[in-house]
Amino acid sequence: MFAEVVTPELFASAVRLATPIALAAVGASICERAGVVNIAMEGLMLIGAFSGMVTALMTGSAWLGVIGAVTGALIFASLHAWASVNLGADQVISGTAINILALGTTGFLMETIFGHPGTTDSVQTIGPVFDFPTGGEGPFATVWLWIDTVFLSYTPIVYFGMFAAIFLTWALYRTRWGLRLRSLGEHPRAADTVGINVLKGRWFAVLASGFMSGLAGANLTLEQVGSFTEGMTNGRGFIALAAMIFGRWIPGGGYLASLLFGFADALQLKLQLFSDIIRIPAQFFLMLPYLLTVIVLAGVVGRAVAPTAIGKPYSEKG
Amino acid sequence: MPEQVIDDSPEHRAQEAERRFALEQERIRRLIRVATPFISVAIAILLGSVVIALSGKDPLLAFGAMFSGAFGGTRQIGETLLRATPLIFTGLAVAYGFRSGLFNIGAEGQLFLGGIAAAFVGVMLAGYPWMISVPLVLLAAALAGAAWAFIPALMKARIGAHEVITTMMFSYIGRYVVSWIIAGPFKDKGQIPQTPELPETSQLPRLSDVFTFIEPNRAHLGIVLGIVLAVVVWWVLKYTVLGYEARAVGFNPTAAQTGGISVSMTTVKSLCISGALAGLAGAVEVMGVHHRMFDQFSSGFGFTGIAVALLAKNNPIGVIAAAILFGSLSAGAGTMQLEAGVSQKVISVIQGTIIFLVGAEAIVSWAVKRIRSMKEATDVR
Repeated sequence: MFAEVVTPELFASAVRLATPIALAAVGASICERAGVVNIAMEGLMLIGAFSGMVTALMTGSAWLGVIGAVTGALIFASLHAWASVNLGADQVISGTAINILALGTTGFLMETIFGHPGTTDSVQTIGPVFDFPTGGEGPFATVWLWIDTVFLSYTPIVYFGMFAAIFLTWALYRTRWGLRLRSLGEHPRAADTVGINVLKGRWFAVLASGFMSGLAGANLTLEQVGSFTEGMTNGRGFIALAAMIFGRWIPGGGYLASLLFGFADALQLKLQLFSDIIRIPAQFFLMLPYLLTVIVLAGVVGRAVAPTAIGKPYSEKG
Repeated sequence: MPEQVIDDSPEHRAQEAERRFALEQERIRRLIRVATPFISVAIAILLGSVVIALSGKDPLLAFGAMFSGAFGGTRQIGETLLRATPLIFTGLAVAYGFRSGLFNIGAEGQLFLGGIAAAFVGVMLAGYPWMISVPLVLLAAALAGAAWAFIPALMKARIGAHEVITTMMFSYIGRYVVSWIIAGPFKDKGQIPQTPELPETSQLPRLSDVFTFIEPNRAHLGIVLGIVLAVVVWWVLKYTVLGYEARAVGFNPTAAQTGGISVSMTTVKSLCISGALAGLAGAVEVMGVHHRMFDQFSSGFGFTGIAVALLAKNNPIGVIAAAILFGSLSAGAGTMQLEAGVSQKVISVIQGTIIFLVGAEAIVSWAVKRIRSMKEATDVR
């Protein structure tokens, strides 16, 4: 059974399942490094998934759909930015409001546009970037199959997620821009004193998080499923939050933590196929990613240190 | 008696004016704080109307239908109260958490655990008189809800794991556990995954069955329980040590700790009480409405509870009013969909807007100031 479970497809599926979580987690770490708490990824992802799907269905182009997804998420992210950066609102409540608003808005528009609740029509999903031939016999062909499946079988947004995680980790810790962004979350008053525009910087960070969550939604609908279902994000935004903390507010760390969840999810999906050998009810497989989140938090949170000024509204007047 | 000196110097007059200005500002701030929930609801309904109008439907017709569906007669009012009932409990649950500085976003999971506990104990106690079974069923549900909040509470107290993530994750886990119990070990005979029906002695009777002068409607005794509980929670928060400690920790944990209150102990207690209240919400739904447990027995009462608590500004008595408002939205939504052709989901948009506005109180005061300054500008002209 081991050989049937541990296949190259298992790892590829782990990466694919991790991608929406990872994109949101990478975006959130930028947002929280700048000192703004963002628990709205669940809603932003849902909005992205929906607006991406609608745009794709209307234009017939999945690529325009990606733009639509990002636009939708950015609009809702600016609500969060306005409330938490300009108006000093409670950022957790604002995030919750956006999550509920996203669920309501997508549900309402779903019924208004498509005339029924549930699932939309489907579109042709965006295909993998590369298409190399595989097959044949012998050890070389097997190694090539592993390489091709685990590294070269993905759709564009999946690669973008990997790139973003690496690039942003470098930028956050090795560039002047990164130092400035982090200063917003550690000591905004000092940042202001040396002439950094705190409000502008935080706006940018919240929008960056919205951009990434929108892409996460686009990945779900336009690359993976091909249609939109109400509430389809199913807690991924919250898992991304846990991944971000597990990754210690570092984009790359958040990406790796998401891979762990993706792997747990891929494994449970795979194991469900063997339900006549492993006699465990499906519900226990389904709860695995959530359980893992709790275990990870129980093990790591005590040692993870959040940005100092996180969640505190900043006013130039002092 | 010293002579009253009337200081007439320009400095003093300036000071006096400044003081009066500050008082005036404070008065406006207080007014805004009190008015925020009302203004928020008004803005949210206005925004809902715009959304309805944009979708090509008539907002006046829609809200008219909604109103008649919620308050148009005894049956409709009963329906509003029926839907308000679980929201009083979940609203109290979330509000109690907030008062203690905890955001219990996982009330939905605790509600499911409470529901299944009620369904199980209710069936087990068949044959006992209601005086024994009803209290025991409620107790079981409260304990189940509290138990489901206990681990997140412990994680918060011990290692500082944020309760927004842990209670949310436990909510998902709880729903899967309950779904398994319903479909597996505690499934009723037949194909449908649901638990066996509660014996009549474990049910909460309808108001119209108890008070026969009321015309028949679906509202049940749970609403009375909810109102009584709201008063109890108010009393606990205001007059007991338990409530004092909860509020002190919610207000300023560092100061509370310095003052000799154990923050971690209070956190555990408060989140468990919050969980117990959410568990009771599940119990009243099972005992008063469905008389059994199944997967879709809650239409997001745990999440709507957040909106209820925020709108009530975490005041237990305010929770009753906020719950009835949301209950009426939910009861009227069906009529609205039927008569005006507007999707029921618009009420989630309204709820989300209300939370956003109440949470960002500054938006309301910003709007008020904008309107004032606009008025001043036109006055000058």
